[in-house]
Amino acid sequence: MALFKKKNDGAALNSVLVRRPIQKCFPIFLLPTFIAFCIGFLYPFAKGLFLSFCNFKTTSKWTWAGLGNYVKAFADESFLHAFWYTAGFALVSLLIINILAFTVAYLLTKGIKGSNIFRTVFFMPNLIGGIVLGYIWSMIFDGILSRYNTSILLNSTYGFWGLIILMAWQQIGYMMIIYIAGLQAVPGDMLEAAKIDGASEWKTLWNIIIPNVMPSITICTFLTLTNSFKLYDQNLALTNGRPYNGAIHTTEMLALNIVNSNTLKTKGVGQAKAVMFFVLVAIIGILQMKSTHDKEVQQ
Amino acid sequence: MKKLLALALSLVLVVGLFGCGAKTETPAATTAAPAAETTAAAETEAPAASATGSVYYLNFKPEADAAWQELAKTYTEQTGVKVTVVTAASGTYDDTLTAELDKAAAPTMFQAGNQGAIDAYGEWCMDMRDTDVYKEMTTDDFNLKGEDGSVLAIGYCYESFGIIVNKALLEKAGHSLDEITNFESLKAVADDIHARASELGFDAFTSAGLDGSSSWRFSGHLLNMPLFYQFRDDGVTKQPATITNKYLDNFKAIWDLYTTDSATTGAALTTATGDQAEAEFGKGEAVFYQNGTWEYSNLTGTFGMNPDDLAMIPIYCGVEGEEKAGLCSGTENCWAVNKEAAPEDIQATLDFMKWVVTSEEGTTMLAAEFGPCPFKNAKTPENVFCADANKLVADGNYSVTWAFNWTPGVDDFRAAVVDALTQYVSGTGDWAAVESAIVDGWAAQYAKNVG
Amino acid sequence: MAKKPATIQGEKRVKTILTVVFAVVAVVYLLPIFLVLMNSFKANAYVNTETFAMPNEESFVGFDNYVKGMTFGNYPFAKSVGYSLFITIVSSALILVCTSMAAWYIARVGSTFSKIVYYLCVFSMVVPFQMVMFTLPKTADTLHLNTPWTIPIIYLGFGAGLAVFMFSGFVKSIPLSIEEAAAIDGCGPIKTFFNVVLPMMKPTMISVGVLEIMWVWNDYLLPYLVLDRKKYMTIPIHIQYLKGSYGSVDMGATMALILLSIAPVIVFYLTCQKYIIKGVAAGAVKG
Repeated sequence: MALFKKKNDGAALNSVLVRRPIQKCFPIFLLPTFIAFCIGFLYPFAKGLFLSFCNFKTTSKWTWAGLGNYVKAFADESFLHAFWYTAGFALVSLLIINILAFTVAYLLTKGIKGSNIFRTVFFMPNLIGGIVLGYIWSMIFDGILSRYNTSILLNSTYGFWGLIILMAWQQIGYMMIIYIAGLQAVPGDMLEAAKIDGASEWKTLWNIIIPNVMPSITICTFLTLTNSFKLYDQNLALTNGRPYNGAIHTTEMLALNIVNSNTLKTKGVGQAKAVMFFVLVAIIGILQMKSTHDKEVQQ
Repeated sequence: MKKLLALALSLVLVVGLFGCGAKTETPAATTAAPAAETTAAAETEAPAASATGSVYYLNFKPEADAAWQELAKTYTEQTGVKVTVVTAASGTYDDTLTAELDKAAAPTMFQAGNQGAIDAYGEWCMDMRDTDVYKEMTTDDFNLKGEDGSVLAIGYCYESFGIIVNKALLEKAGHSLDEITNFESLKAVADDIHARASELGFDAFTSAGLDGSSSWRFSGHLLNMPLFYQFRDDGVTKQPATITNKYLDNFKAIWDLYTTDSATTGAALTTATGDQAEAEFGKGEAVFYQNGTWEYSNLTGTFGMNPDDLAMIPIYCGVEGEEKAGLCSGTENCWAVNKEAAPEDIQATLDFMKWVVTSEEGTTMLAAEFGPCPFKNAKTPENVFCADANKLVADGNYSVTWAFNWTPGVDDFRAAVVDALTQYVSGTGDWAAVESAIVDGWAAQYAKNVG
Repeated sequence: MAKKPATIQGEKRVKTILTVVFAVVAVVYLLPIFLVLMNSFKANAYVNTETFAMPNEESFVGFDNYVKGMTFGNYPFAKSVGYSLFITIVSSALILVCTSMAAWYIARVGSTFSKIVYYLCVFSMVVPFQMVMFTLPKTADTLHLNTPWTIPIIYLGFGAGLAVFMFSGFVKSIPLSIEEAAAIDGCGPIKTFFNVVLPMMKPTMISVGVLEIMWVWNDYLLPYLVLDRKKYMTIPIHIQYLKGSYGSVDMGATMALILLSIAPVIVFYLTCQKYIIKGVAAGAVKG
C-alpha cells in the first residue's frame, strides 16, 4: 500500500513541467473536494472532538465538562466489555475470513470449470447492506433456533458465531477477489522453476506463493480488521447487544456501545468514547500495516 | 483563460454549496450564538409561510402515522395552514428528536411521554397552562409537570390494561366473572381450566411470549403491579433512585400463573410472539389474555370477536385489598410544544391542537386511534374495555396508575428484565436473577441516565 | 510437456471433484437470498415458524407483502426508490470526478498543503461515523445540505478519504513520462487529466465506484439523520419503518422490501460483473 512504502517521494521526482500547471489549477482540482471535506468531515469532526469535553443535549447547547466524560467512559464496564468482545471478534473473523477466502481463491485459480460463475456468486453478498444482512440472517438463525425453543437473542455464544457467519458470508467474496488478483500476479517462471525442482505443492505454496501474495494479505487483513472494529449495522440488526446481563450487553461491539450510550444525559460520554474508539482504530491500522509491511519488505 | 474558467467553476460550486442566503451563516457561527440561531434561521427559512406559521409534529407511534397524516391533510385543506407530521422510526425516537431539535426547522410539537422525557426535554417545553387546548381538558391527571407547577406536556389520551377475558369460553368452562375478585380466585379458575384443557379444547392463559413483540407486556405492564404498590406504600411522588423487592413475590406469583396455566410453557415461551398470543385469544384457544384497550379493534375486527363476549378485569397478584383494584390506566401519549419555535409557528401549533381536540374530524380520529381522551368534546370510543375501566372507577375502585413511567433507561431496563425472565422460564436461571435485574437494574439505569 | 498421463488424469479428476464441491457450496451460498424471495410471499406469521418451507396454500399470500410494504405509512415506496437512486448515482459520480482530480493534484503537486490534505484523508478513513453523528446533521442542516439534491456534497466530504487514498495510490504508480510528454505537446492540465490520466485510471475508477455505490445505496444512519425528515426517505429508512413500536416487525413485508432493495443491485452487478470484479482486483493491488 502506497501510504506506508518508504516514500520514494513522487513529488520530488515530478518535473516542474507537470507540477506547475497543475498547481495553478488548484480551484478546479483540489478546492471542490477540499470544501466538501471540510463540511462533511473536518468541521463535524473538530466539533465532535470539542463536544467530547462537554455535556450537551444538542450540539448547540453545551456546557464545558473537561475530562469528566473520559473518566466516566473508562469507569463504564459495558464499554470495557465491548472492547474485549470486539477485539475477540476481530481476531476470529480475521482468521476465518482470510483463511477461507485464500483457500477459495487458491482453488479457483487452479483452472477448474465454472471458476467465473463461482467467483460471481461468492462476491454477490457484498452488495447487500448491513441492516438488510442483519434482517436476513436473523430470520435464518431464528428459523433454525426456534425449533430448539431458543433464539439468537438469548444466547451470547449463538450471537457471536451468528455474527461471524454473517460477516464471513458477506466478506469472503471480496477478499477472495483480492487474493485471486494476488495469486495471478505470482511470477510464472518462479512456479515453473519450483516445479522443475520437484517441490511439493505445499512447499510451493509456503515458500513461493504466500510470500508473493503478501501485499494482498496486507490489504485483506487491514480491511477485515477495520471492518470488524467499525462494525455497526450488522451488529445492530442481528442482536443489538442481546442478551443483556445487567448493565453489560453481552454481544455489543464498540460502535454500538457508543451509540447506545448516547442517552440525553450521557451524550458527552458517548462522544468521548467515540474519540477513544477512533484513536484505537487508527493505532491498530497503523501497527498492523507496519508489521505486515515489514514482512513484505523482507521478501 | 483557463484561470478564469477555473475561478468561475469553483465560484459556481461555492455558491451552490452555501446557497439561498445561508452564505453568511458560516459553521463557526453555530457555536457563537446557540440560542438565538434556531428562531432566526427558521424565520429566514420560510418566508412564504411566516405570515401564518406552520406546524411540524414529530410523532412517535408508527402505527398511528397514517391517521395523523390524514388528519394533517384535512386541516391544511380547511385552513391553509401547513401541517407536517413526521414519525420517528421505531426505537429511534430519542435520537430523532435530539437531531431534529438541533435543526433550524425544529419540530414545533413533539411527544414527551414520561418523567424521563421531561427531565431531558423540559427546557424545550412550553408551559401549557395559558393555552386554549389546555382549557379544553377535563383532568390534570395525565399531564406532566415541571417543578414550579408548570404544565410541560399534556396527556391527550389515556389507556388501560388488564386481563382480557373471553366470557363465552369462561361460561363454557362453568365459571363466571363474578367468581374472580382477587388472586386466589383467579388462580382457582385458571387452574381448573388448565387441568381440563384437553377436554375443553382451550386453555386458561394465552402464551406469555418473551419475544420482542410480546415481552413489553410483562417487563413493562405486568411489572407495573409491584412498582405501583410499592410506590403507593412509600408515597413516592417523583422518580425514585432505587426500588426494593417488596412486592416482587407477587410479581412472581402472577408470572408463574401465566406461564403454568397455559398451553405454551417453559423454554417455548422464549420465542413466542405477540401475534401468536393475540391469535390464540382471537381464535378462542385461551380464556385470559393480558393486554390493553388498544387491542379492542384487532380482536373485534381482525378476529371478528363479539364485543359482548369480551371484558377486561384488573390484574390480581395477591396484594392485600386488591379486591378494590381497577384497571391500570395512564398514558405515555403526551404533547409538548417547542417554546423555541418561531412565535407564529407556536401559535399555528396551538391552533392545530385545539382543532384536533374540538373538531368533528379530530375527535373522531382520536377516539378511533387512541380511545378515551380527557377533553370536553371528546367522543366516547366504542370500546368495551374502556367502558369496563370507567365502570370500575365509577364503582369506587382505585385506579392503578402507570408507575412504570418512572422507569429510568426504560429500553435497557426492560431488555435486561426480559433476559432474566427468559432464563428463568427456560430453567437456566433462577428467580433471584430476575429480582436482581429489576432492583439492581433500576439503580444502575438511574445512575447512568439520571443521577 | 513431460507429464505422465496418469498425473494428468488424476489432476483432471481432482478438478472435477472441485467443480462439484464448489457447485454445492455456491448453491448454499445463494440460499439466503432465495430464502428472502420465498418468505416474501408468505404471511407474516409463517415467516418465523416455517422459515424453510416453500409457501403452501395456507401461507401463500401472493403479492400482499409487496403491496403492504410499498404502501406503508402513506409514503410511496417508489419515491424512496427514486431518491435512493438519485442520491446513489449523483453522489458516486461526484465522488469519482472530484476525488480523482483531487488525488491527481495531491500526487503530482507535493506542496505542504496537499500533503496535509492527503494525510487528513487517510486519517478520515479510520474515523467512525459515530464520531460525527450529531455534529454532521447539524452542519448539513445549517448549510441546507439536507435534501437529496444537495446531500451528495455531504457524501463527497465524508467519503473523500478512501477515494482520495485509493486514487492517489494509483496515480503514484503511473509513470510520470506520459504526462510529461503530454505537457511537452502543449496539453494543459485539464486536457491532460481528462485525455491522458483519466483513461488510465479506469480500473481504480470502477473499484472506487463499486465501493461508493454499495456504501451510499445501503447507508442508513447518515441519510436518516441528515435528510429533511419531513420530505425525504431512502430505501433503508423505509425498511426500518416496517418495524412498529413495541418491537413487532412485519417480517413478510420486510422481506418483500428487502428483495426490492437488493434486486436492482444484483441486476447491476450481474450486467457489469466482469468490470466490477476486475476493478476490485486491480484497485486493491495497486492501492
